[in-house]
Amino acid sequence: MKYTPRLPETNDNVSPSSPLKELAVLAGGLLAIIVGIYLVLGVAVDLIVPRLSPGLERRLAKPFLSTVTDIDDAADSTQESVQAILDRLQKECAELPFPLQVHVKSSETINALAFPGGHIIIFQGLLDEVTSENELAFVLAHEMGHYANRDHLRGIGRALVFITVSTLTLGPDSPVAKVLGSALNLTEMRFSRAQENRADTFGLEALQCLYGHVGGSTDFFNKIPADQDPGRFGHYFASHPENRRRIAHLEELARSKGYPSEATLPFPSTD
Amino acid sequence: MIDLIIFLSLVALGYGVGTYVEKRHYRRIKAREQATLKLAITTTKHINYPVEDIQSVALVTGSAVISVDYFKRLLASLRNIFGGNVKSYESLIDRARREALLRMKEMAPQAHMIVNVRIETSTVGRKANKKGVGCLEALAYGTAVTLKGHA
Repeated sequence: MKYTPRLPETNDNVSPSSPLKELAVLAGGLLAIIVGIYLVLGVAVDLIVPRLSPGLERRLAKPFLSTVTDIDDAADSTQESVQAILDRLQKECAELPFPLQVHVKSSETINALAFPGGHIIIFQGLLDEVTSENELAFVLAHEMGHYANRDHLRGIGRALVFITVSTLTLGPDSPVAKVLGSALNLTEMRFSRAQENRADTFGLEALQCLYGHVGGSTDFFNKIPADQDPGRFGHYFASHPENRRRIAHLEELARSKGYPSEATLPFPSTD
Repeated sequence: MIDLIIFLSLVALGYGVGTYVEKRHYRRIKAREQATLKLAITTTKHINYPVEDIQSVALVTGSAVISVDYFKRLLASLRNIFGGNVKSYESLIDRARREALLRMKEMAPQAHMIVNVRIETSTVGRKANKKGVGCLEALAYGTAVTLKGHA
């Protein structure tokens, strides 16, 4: 054997490639697939959600309740009086397939939340601002509207499938999955404008049914003056163009349906 | 949002600095390969020279540890989803092996040949036990043979 000192002319161990082009193609392809899945999910969720049984909904609800159970409950008498209004609404005006339960939490937050499974959380801060029973009934009826339309399930459905898919393909520690998770914040559960509108309509109809008039339905939105920080008061109050639009929508609806507006009943004081 | 910004900066840094460092390393590798071309390395186990002609033999080793930058890692994880050649790691392994062989040669510059050369590659670093690649280590070892006279 003879050794000829010579270097190879080409390096066949490294494929000629343009890394930036490869990144663009792969990342672009992945993004297109994710957007495609998102759109398909939107359609699928709209088809499946109306068919979900209330029993299944209650089972899905359990993990979400734990996020608020560490806040103390308010006094039993408060809880009972609010539950009484809710029960009257359910019995006389809005037959929902499962019973709703209200939990009053002693926190200063001025907000109310509808959780899956028929649990409504109302914060003491909101009750302190209420001056009439009609207002409170509207808030409760609005949340009931979200249940009647299965609104909360739509948001959860999409987020759950996304996080499942990303965990399966990328692994739980992937930074991409974390970005995805924070983008779809499950516990926030914001509703779309159309969903809020439908819930408002439901609330108005329920108010008309229970009291024979819709006085007090928009009182809530008008409570906080314009210069207050909107974020503090939750999705009810920000004197926010969104809420002005909702007030206008309610007033117009009452006008078109001919609902009268009369004096409101006072809400029993809670202190 | 801040996570995304950090992520993108790491990727850009990986691409910018990583590409520069890789090109510089390849230039040096080519220069050293040219310089040590006279020293033959081969994987054969046996030497065809009679025992009287051999002056000395020695074990020589060379190792190199090359780390993966964030850009290459991102490309590799995308490839892991779609499949195909992970081209971003190819240059990494190539550099590590060639560097290891060069260091092995430089350990015995006066030898005439290095026989029974083997190369071993492994991963080190914090992700060595999980699915990611932290650093790549290549080890080359062989027997350096020095002959009497100018053979």
